[in-house]
Amino acid sequence: MSLSLALQLVEAVTPAPVGTTTLVAVGGPDDVAVAQRWCDATGNHLLSVHPDAVEILRGRLADPIQALPADRRPGHRLWIYTNFHCNLACDYCCVGSSPTAAPRIIGVPEFAYLVTEAVTAGVRELYVTGGEPFMLLDLDERLSIAARALPTTVLTNAMTWNGARRARLEALPRHGLTLQISLDSATPELHDRHRGPGSFARARAGIETAIELGFRVRVAATLGADAGRAEDELIELFDKLGLAPDQQVIRRVAQQGAANQGLAVSRESLIPEVCITASGVYWHPVAATDPAMKVADRWAPLQPVIESIRDEYRMYRIRGEITASTFPCA
Amino acid sequence: MTTDGSALMIGAVAYSPNVVPIWEGIKDYFEDSAAPIDFVLFSNYERQVDALLAGQIDIAWNTNVAWVRSQRATGGDAVALAMRDTDLTFTTMIVGRRGSGLDGLESLRGRRVALGSRDSGQARILPLYFLERAGIGTDDISLVLFDSDVGKHGDTGQSELEALRAVIDDRVDAAALGVNTWQALTAAGDATVADLEVVWESERYNHCNFTALPSLDPDRSGPWVAHLLAMDWDNPDHRRILELEGLRSWKPAQLEGYRSLIEAMEAQGVADRW
Repeated sequence: MSLSLALQLVEAVTPAPVGTTTLVAVGGPDDVAVAQRWCDATGNHLLSVHPDAVEILRGRLADPIQALPADRRPGHRLWIYTNFHCNLACDYCCVGSSPTAAPRIIGVPEFAYLVTEAVTAGVRELYVTGGEPFMLLDLDERLSIAARALPTTVLTNAMTWNGARRARLEALPRHGLTLQISLDSATPELHDRHRGPGSFARARAGIETAIELGFRVRVAATLGADAGRAEDELIELFDKLGLAPDQQVIRRVAQQGAANQGLAVSRESLIPEVCITASGVYWHPVAATDPAMKVADRWAPLQPVIESIRDEYRMYRIRGEITASTFPCA
Repeated sequence: MTTDGSALMIGAVAYSPNVVPIWEGIKDYFEDSAAPIDFVLFSNYERQVDALLAGQIDIAWNTNVAWVRSQRATGGDAVALAMRDTDLTFTTMIVGRRGSGLDGLESLRGRRVALGSRDSGQARILPLYFLERAGIGTDDISLVLFDSDVGKHGDTGQSELEALRAVIDDRVDAAALGVNTWQALTAAGDATVADLEVVWESERYNHCNFTALPSLDPDRSGPWVAHLLAMDWDNPDHRRILELEGLRSWKPAQLEGYRSLIEAMEAQGVADRW
């Protein structure tokens, strides 16, 4: 059996043009292991395993992950949805959060364990999001744990900092923590149209509070098809607030969650940013309730989950390059 | 891209579609060097040697058989510039079914032996030479010959695989393979060839080299060879090319290992072209 497989590999794969794939029949896991060893030793790439065959790419391709900037490589960032309920019900929310959404909270002990796992897995940055994370009265405990371990950013609409929450906000560490506050336009009309009346004024006030309290602040806008010239006006406003360009984020609405319009996203079209929710692991935080974007039910241990996401991303990129190279129009 | 005529023109034979990415990669590697190159592909080694002799190319990436022919045609004046590490340690192996009782060349007497293409040093010319040297002539064995891809001097390995199939199908008792083909078969471990055994392995001999005429100015060939030898297995961009071409490092040319093939081609009266 092995001799037949070795002959097939030499006869079918070696003469194949670099960058093309060949299916080689296999009889079981032992044959797959032989094919993998053969590929490793001969400079070829075992692309996928099927029930009765392996697909082998002739030659080696550069690792698509190494081609990404270091801070965009899967596993550099880890997103954590601490909860899904929110004081707002934005009509384009990518996870459909609202005051009535099921909270799906990641508790403090689990959060702490997750941060430990993240450090072990080589994660370099944490992003805490929701829902509105500050709906959790004990969010400060999570943020303190996170900021002690890794540079941490928390996404917020900056509208809940009253009473006890304000006191807990003031006690948060300044070092290692960034507050990313949502603001969709430079004037109330567009922002309030999607987020609710009065939300613009409270967000603006929240930005100023955060700056006054000495936090590192980033402002993020989500723009839909009705944004018009909002982007230019926003950049002007962000500059006036003294925000550096790398502290200004402007992105488009994705067709996810509550949004019935927007950019279509899929695992094939998104560079993954590993995302943890109470329901499991997702490909990207913009699609953290989409079953098609769910990677795993459990996040522990985290390292193999991140590796599997990297492998899947490599597969999409390699297949994309093959498709691109074999798509003649005539 | 160098198009002003200063580039060294390298000839290679298109034995596989992968010859194109190999040479595009080598051309890119040389682009910013002191010795930029371009390349031209031939369908067979005889045409390539003709082009070298006619001055249409500066350097030919030759098989050992093409090297010997270049030497003959130049009265021994052709120059070997460099070769692969694997060209210095080439061997021919005679392979049979495990349990056949074959062991050594003498055991092949009276048996069916499959050989590859008539222009292949490793699969035909040298096996016949080594058999003859051991006192085993063509009348002492039953030869089964596979002539495929003539003109490629055995580069495709096709005739060797056909000969091996004949062993597996019990149409012959043994077959001659180049060590590169055997290594490809055993790349996943010796267990993959548990049904076969090596009956005999030859002494080492040389395989390919970059051949030039003595008229090529050393001020042009010297920097080219130096840059070639600097290709690095640990550099992923270089490694992709090196793996496709079947080497880990380029080496300065050594000529001692061609003696057996020179004698073989002389003894067998191998013509200057097929």
